[in-house]
Amino acid sequence: MAKKEYLMGNEAMGRGAVEAGVKVAAGYPGTPASEVLEYASKYPDVHVEWCINEKVALEITMGASLCYTRAMAVMKHNGTNVALDFLMHLNYTGVRGGLVLISGDDPGGISSQNEEDSRIITHLDAHLPVFDPWCPQEAKDMVKAAFKLSEKTELCFVVRPVMRVCHARSPVKLEEIATSSKEPFFEDDRSRFIMSAVREPKAGGVLRPVLRHKWLNEKQMELLQIMADSPFNHEEEGEGSIGLVTCGIGYAYVKEAEEILGKKFPILKLGTLPLPRDKVVKFAGKFDKLVVYEDSEAVVEGLIKELLYDEGIKVAVVGRSGFLPKEGELLTTVVLKSLATLYPELEKLIPETASLDIKIPIRTRTQCIGCAYRSLLHALKLVARKTHGVVAGDIGCYDAGSFLPLELQSTIYCMGSSIPIATGIAYSGSKQPVFAIIGDSTFFHNGVLGLLNAIHNAVDMVVIVCDNRTTAMTGFQPHPGSDTDIGGKPVIAIDIAKLVTAAGATSARVVNPYDIPEVMKALNKAAKEKGVSVIVASSPCYLLARRTGDICFTPRKVSLDPDRCNGCKICIDYFGCPAIRFADEKATIDQATCVECGMCVYVCKRGAIT
Amino acid sequence: MNLNILIAGVGGQGNLFASSILAEYFTNQGHQVLAVETIGAAQRGGSVVSHLRVSDSEMYSPLIPAGKVDILMGFEILEMLRNFQLLSVDGSYLLNDYKEPTVLCNLEMDTYPSDEMITAALQKSGKKGYIIKATECARQIGGSLLTNVVMVGALCQLSPLFHRQEVRQVLAGKSPPKVRDLNLKAFDAGGSLVSGMS
Ligand code: SF4
Ligand code: SF4
Ligand code: SF4
Repeated sequence: MAKKEYLMGNEAMGRGAVEAGVKVAAGYPGTPASEVLEYASKYPDVHVEWCINEKVALEITMGASLCYTRAMAVMKHNGTNVALDFLMHLNYTGVRGGLVLISGDDPGGISSQNEEDSRIITHLDAHLPVFDPWCPQEAKDMVKAAFKLSEKTELCFVVRPVMRVCHARSPVKLEEIATSSKEPFFEDDRSRFIMSAVREPKAGGVLRPVLRHKWLNEKQMELLQIMADSPFNHEEEGEGSIGLVTCGIGYAYVKEAEEILGKKFPILKLGTLPLPRDKVVKFAGKFDKLVVYEDSEAVVEGLIKELLYDEGIKVAVVGRSGFLPKEGELLTTVVLKSLATLYPELEKLIPETASLDIKIPIRTRTQCIGCAYRSLLHALKLVARKTHGVVAGDIGCYDAGSFLPLELQSTIYCMGSSIPIATGIAYSGSKQPVFAIIGDSTFFHNGVLGLLNAIHNAVDMVVIVCDNRTTAMTGFQPHPGSDTDIGGKPVIAIDIAKLVTAAGATSARVVNPYDIPEVMKALNKAAKEKGVSVIVASSPCYLLARRTGDICFTPRKVSLDPDRCNGCKICIDYFGCPAIRFADEKATIDQATCVECGMCVYVCKRGAIT
Repeated sequence: MNLNILIAGVGGQGNLFASSILAEYFTNQGHQVLAVETIGAAQRGGSVVSHLRVSDSEMYSPLIPAGKVDILMGFEILEMLRNFQLLSVDGSYLLNDYKEPTVLCNLEMDTYPSDEMITAALQKSGKKGYIIKATECARQIGGSLLTNVVMVGALCQLSPLFHRQEVRQVLAGKSPPKVRDLNLKAFDAGGSLVSGMS
């Protein structure tokens, strides 16, 4: 019996890549996909790198593939958007060494700014083959198969797991790790790898983009044949006049519903794009109606409709286009409900749920107790209020400053958009001063471009870079400002203050975010300057520091004098350390959770906290 | 064997460690295990839920479907209440009597339900359950971080599904050497907390 190990879906995919002999793996951290690279980094034969952003990661892996080396890029769906420009060219050139792109989706937007289905850009847009796994074992098998098929077809293969597959844990079969015999070597093929609007003499002067586009289109025939026999698609027999088509995680929920209802439905389990056309046609022919269960857009539903229309088969096809909810995650409950609509007699078999007669408050995210960002956000809030300024925000732990109680940042979009948004506000003619607040990892990822643009155009604004030398939000991955890489090897840490100074920022002040008076002073000065003033708030991530023994502050025991506290709530509304509680018109400090950072002493203007 | 355990708590309570001990125990017992966590921004005091499914036949959805949770472990009161509707008809709960106020409750924009309301609602639900002071017990032993282990210790005492000693062994094996003794002490204390309750 093959050895099994209890692995998370992400680890299983990392393992699959290692078994397939991957040599270069690169990506940018992001839930749900971060652990893929972390797993692969345990193997010294693989070069694993957290890159500055996803586009760079994909480009690096393509460079390796050009030398006949197997390579893998890992990112979440938002990152795939960032890499899309390159993806829309590598699809035309094709690859040499097997190249696999893992694009983790987050249906329901549980840990993302949007819920996006990256099958749309990778398959419908870039015309690349996509595997959609339903469980960790299949995710691993798909990654392995993807490497092989990528080399065979010369196309980059995409594996698109959703969060529940990335984070599921189950025993996964371990197999041998392949050793590659091929010596890496680069050789020229300019007609392929020079993507340019030149005319191809050999093709009678046709422009190269048209020629390569034709190559990609012709590849689709080969893909159709591969998918026709793929083990990732199969049919299951069952009762009923309606065929259930499942894609990826949809299979898990439909099978679960079967278990609960004690029934077997006719199922077509799909895991590949392009679709296995014959299997779909054969399956559809047996029913009057098909229901397609997929996360999260009606991608396969649309493709099946198109296919059946072309084949002249009249079968109703429903799914995420309206029969099932158009937004949010597909869950067993959603499947059960839909089945009860189709077969009303099933309604009574849906499990009863418990009910509780109580109102349950929601929990919003905030920074850790002791985090340097809390004092930084507090200082910025005071300055922004006084100057009637607008604060544009970005992605990272500090983004929770946009929620209650602070409600500081007024905008949050995607990685690095804070500075350009602030620039646009400045250009609008509004007289309000503008601030942008961005984390170090986000700054390198994409923020730096907006900053250079603003410096170049002498936009009046203050940019605050939260520099804790790690990508804290996603679990402490290093970035170009860190001094060690994913494997702990020393690397060159890029100094943000020096970088922006060299670029021509009006000023670059490095402050300790725990020192509220110092931060206030820097902010007030910067707000009066012309051009782009940068403040680098530099201190290690407190949560990480607690693990590594790094020091953020000298502990200071604080106490709150109830007689001095007048209940003004500044420490709550303008600061919000969760260790400060408020009841009966007075603040109190919960000593059990207080970490003695001492910041609140500066926050209370009444001197109640000492 | 068919068992679904849901652990609900907040970030930093060691939800994942508790689930991994139980997972390893059931795997050692020869059962199949399927688990998943919802870990959206877990480091910053958000809700964390671990689903653990045990069976002898194939399992599909890593998330336990609504109405299918057999044992609901609440490391924090609100988080348990939030997931209460997932309990099955004859499911039961084990609750740590510990409140982690929400940001909005601190701001008095929301109210954390009172003890009376919580007790009344739980009673009205008709579900069987136990409420223990696991965090308090953990603090006495060496710190609130031991709450998860106290809870596992209590669960293994209450439920006949566990061979206590074997879970204890798994715990010993999975604990970093520095905290092994403390963890074992917390595990035993969890057992003592509930002995005589079931
Ligand atoms: S993980 Fe680090 S940066 Fe993020 S909130 Fe916690 S202490 Fe702050
Ligand atoms: S502790 Fe200070 S800031 Fe907080 S409510 Fe009392 S007086 Fe106001
Ligand atoms: S109560 Fe004050 S000293 Fe304690 S953690 Fe919060 S801000 Fe720091």
